[in-house]
Amino acid sequence: MHLLEVNNVTKRFGGITALKNVSLYIDSGEKIAIIGPNGSGKTTLFNVINGVYIPEDGRIIYMGRDITKLSAHERAKLGIARAFQITRPFPGLSVRENVMIGALFGTLSEKINTREALKIADEMLKLVGLYNKRDELAIKLTGPERKLLELARALAMKPKILLLDEIVAGMPPAKVDEIVDLVKNVAERENIAVGVMVEHVIRAVIRFAERVYVLDRGEIVLSGKVEDVMRNPKLREIYLGTRFKGGV
Amino acid sequence: MIKGKIIDHTSLIIMIFSYIIIWMLKTSFPEYSQMLTLLLYYIAIAQAYNIFLGMTGYVDFGYVSYFGLGLYGMALGVSYASQNNLSSSEAIILGMILSVILAGSVAGVVGGIALRLRGAFFAIATIGLSQALRYLIEGAKIWGGAEGIIIAKDLRKLFGEEGFSYATIILPDTGIFILAVATGIIMYLIRISRLGYGLLAIKEDEDAAKVFGVNTTLYKFVAFIISAVLTSLVGSMWTLKVTAIYPPESFNITFSVEFIVIVMLGGGGTVLGPLIGASIYSLSKYYLGVYLPGLQLTVFSIILLLIVLLFRQGIVGELRSFLYKHEIVRKIIR
Repeated sequence: MHLLEVNNVTKRFGGITALKNVSLYIDSGEKIAIIGPNGSGKTTLFNVINGVYIPEDGRIIYMGRDITKLSAHERAKLGIARAFQITRPFPGLSVRENVMIGALFGTLSEKINTREALKIADEMLKLVGLYNKRDELAIKLTGPERKLLELARALAMKPKILLLDEIVAGMPPAKVDEIVDLVKNVAERENIAVGVMVEHVIRAVIRFAERVYVLDRGEIVLSGKVEDVMRNPKLREIYLGTRFKGGV
Repeated sequence: MIKGKIIDHTSLIIMIFSYIIIWMLKTSFPEYSQMLTLLLYYIAIAQAYNIFLGMTGYVDFGYVSYFGLGLYGMALGVSYASQNNLSSSEAIILGMILSVILAGSVAGVVGGIALRLRGAFFAIATIGLSQALRYLIEGAKIWGGAEGIIIAKDLRKLFGEEGFSYATIILPDTGIFILAVATGIIMYLIRISRLGYGLLAIKEDEDAAKVFGVNTTLYKFVAFIISAVLTSLVGSMWTLKVTAIYPPESFNITFSVEFIVIVMLGGGGTVLGPLIGASIYSLSKYYLGVYLPGLQLTVFSIILLLIVLLFRQGIVGELRSFLYKHEIVRKIIR
């Protein structure tokens, strides 16, 4: 049994079909990547998985349970965590409180009190290297720091599956490697399955994912092991364009 | 419930200490008694409203309705008790229970429907409530209709001629003081609890809060009910003070605006905000009424404009943000 299965999911917005019969799966502790050009439906796919949108068609099975109709907060409690592409910290709260909220309402939820949540928050902040900034207001953080906060907050939820939207977009290459290693280490240690969504930084995908899905105009057009997909000429055509000459 | 070092709870201690000082001033200086009672009344309601408006950021223009229902709950309880020869304490308890039931059930219905809306839409949906209740009472001629309910005679019967000043001054003033303290403690406990963090997350970014596991609908609803019920209890005490209530005053939307101004002036979602907001508001209202009669509303509209433009987080909120990096400030100013 897969940890998460997306079966023939279709999501429409008015006349636009954002996702067309999309199927994919993630196993426990596995790392997958979803790539595709701008507007291919990556964000919609994540929104359907974590409950921001309910699909018109198809089912989402998580740990053997149909969660298609569950709301976002219920899915969060079951262990589906998300870090947003456009970071969404709670700006008026401190960095620490931001991460605490992740712990308080994640899978541990009712099992922990605010004091224990604070401990988890500090742990996560040390992990991502924001511990020194714990008492800053989140609004004071720089762009890359906000991404780290986003990550810490998602990890504090102690998820079983972590969905990362373009977590490394707009970061310097050295920082990208650092974050990728960080996510990899935590995911392996805590057996978290990771779905990472990337548009531009293909390097990050190679270093990270075991399998990859390529999304184009709402459909999964390619999938498989990273090496195989990257070598597939079709990928160059649909995703990187005909002018692409370098090897990946 | 409250654990950890005392220093962590400085804001709670400051708050309660301030309330006690106000209470002591009130008893020591009878000439200021009216003004200080009014201050405690504003503090209690602002703190109750803070639990909803301050913590979630939702603006409810119909909020006076819960105060008004509290007024009516007590008036109905007292007149029923006097007609049925109940004791004076039974009358007060019945009045408070009726206030809570009335406000709680109306808040349950309104919250269940209106809390699905956000921002301006929520505000608009709530605007009509106080007017609807007023015209319902007047038009349907229930609860005394447009003539209102006058309970002075009932109170004389229940408390006796000698007990009348106890029933209309000492009892309600003490009740309002206790409610101010209780509401402050409740607000503080909410602020440091899971519920409080959930509510603040909703205020900051409701969609993100949902994704991070906050049951936003439930949390907003719980805050709404707690807030409405506490305000109705303040209303029930106020009835004893005024001894006569009428629909237009009980459901006057101006009061909703007043409560909003106080919470926002002090700092929504902060523990000390209502104390600061209510102090500034009620003292300046009192003195403006004396020195610039008729102009107090103009002055307050300018103040409201300034808050919205320059100090979105209110006095306490802005101060806290400004000095946030000092640990001691974080503990004292909450």
